Amino acid sequence: MNSPTPAIQIENLTYAYGRAEAVHDLSLTVEAGRCYGLFGRNGAGKTTTMKCLLNLLRPQRGQVHVFGLDPAKHEVDVKRLLSYVPDQVAFYPWMRVRETLDYLASFRANWNRKIEQELFERFQLDPAQRTGNLSKGQRTQVALIAAVCPETDLLVLDEPTSGLDPIVRREFIEAVIGAYQQGVPGKRTILVSTHLITEFEGLIDEFTLIDRGRAVLTLDADQARERYQKIRARFAQSPPELDLKTALRVRRDGRELELIVNGAGADLLERLRQHNPEALTTEALTLEEIFVATLKS
Amino acid sequence: MLILISFKSGTPIYLQIVEQVKAAASSGALQPGEALPSIRPLAEELRVNRNTVAKAYSELENQGVIETLPGRGCFLKENHSGLRKEVRRKLLIEEVDRAIVQAHHLQVPRDEFIELIQERLDVLDDKRRAHEDHKED
Repeated sequence: MNSPTPAIQIENLTYAYGRAEAVHDLSLTVEAGRCYGLFGRNGAGKTTTMKCLLNLLRPQRGQVHVFGLDPAKHEVDVKRLLSYVPDQVAFYPWMRVRETLDYLASFRANWNRKIEQELFERFQLDPAQRTGNLSKGQRTQVALIAAVCPETDLLVLDEPTSGLDPIVRREFIEAVIGAYQQGVPGKRTILVSTHLITEFEGLIDEFTLIDRGRAVLTLDADQARERYQKIRARFAQSPPELDLKTALRVRRDGRELELIVNGAGADLLERLRQHNPEALTTEALTLEEIFVATLKS
Repeated sequence: MLILISFKSGTPIYLQIVEQVKAAASSGALQPGEALPSIRPLAEELRVNRNTVAKAYSELENQGVIETLPGRGCFLKENHSGLRKEVRRKLLIEEVDRAIVQAHHLQVPRDEFIELIQERLDVLDDKRRAHEDHKED
C-alpha cells in the first residue's frame, strides 16, 4: 500500500534572505497519502519552505526530498510528480482560460479531461474569457484546475484561499476533496500552508505549526483535538485556589474559571471536581484555537 | 440520515461518523438494505478528508454493521453481528462501565440510573416504531 518513501522529507532546513532568517532548522516528514498542514502566521516561513521543495530556492543548510528525490538535482522528475497552487496566481493576461489550460496541459504527460470538464461546470468558468479579466477567485479556480488535472501524486497549496470570499473558499476545498482525492487511496498527498485553518480542519491529517521559521508543534490532528481541551468550571462561591501551573492559559471571571490544557486535562478535571463545582464542562480545541493558544503562550 | 461532525467533541472524526451511522441504524433512521451515502459526496458535504470517511466505512464493515457491494456502494446489513455472544457482551460491558463511572461522578444513584436506562430504551423503541409506521404509509 503506502510506499515506504515519504512524499516529503525536510531535514534541518535553514534559509535566510540576506541576514533575515526565514526558516531555521526545520524538519518534517509527510507520509504518502496524507494531507499535511503547515500552519503559521504571515512571515512564519511557510512559503520559503515550499519554494525549497519546488527548487525555486536552494536550501542553505539541510536537505529536502520529494519522493526521495532532491529537487535541485532532479528538478524535472520532481516537477512531474507534483503540482502547485501559489498564493499569487499569475497567468498570461492576454490568453483565454481555454488557451491557458491547453498551454499548461502541454507541459504534462497526463491531463484528465473529464475532471477538467467537471471543475469547469462546478466553478462556472467561461473558457473564452481572458485570464487578465478574471477575478482573484476565478484565477485561483483556474490554477486549481491546472493543478488537479495532471493527477500528480503530490499537491502543494500555498495559502490557496487567502483573499477569497467564503463561498469560493468552500468550493475550493470541496473540489480538492472531490476531484483531487479521487485517485488511488494512499497515493494522493497534499501539503497545504495556511493561516485560515478552520476551513481545512476536516481535511488535515497532521500538521506542523511554525513560528518565526521554527517548528513549534507537530501533531496528528485527531490527537491534537484529544489533547488540547478547554475546561470551564463554575463554582457557588469564588473559585478555589488551585495549582494551575499545568494549564496553558487560565481565565477567571467572578465565579467562573476557564482553562486551556495540553494533555493534563484528566488530572485538572479531577481536582476541580473535588471542589464541587456547579458546572463543569470540557470541549476539544479546534486546530485554529490550538494555533492561537500555542503562539500566545 | 444526516451526519453532523464537530471538531470540538474531542472524538476522532471517523469515530463520530461510525457512531452516528450506528445510532441511525438502531433508531431505524437507516433500514437494513438501505444505501449509505457514497464516500465522495459525503466527504465533500462534511468537508473532511475522503480517507476519513473511507476509514469510518471500513470500521463499520469490520464491526459487521454495513457491507460493501463492489461497484454498488455500502449498505446497512441485517442485524447480525459476526461476533460471538461473549465477545459482543464484553464490548457492551465496556460501554456500560463507562456510563456507570460517569453516573457516579454526576451523583446519579443506582435506581435512578436503571430508570434512566429503561427510559432511553423506550425512547429508542418509539423512534423505531415511528420509522416503521412511516415506512408502511
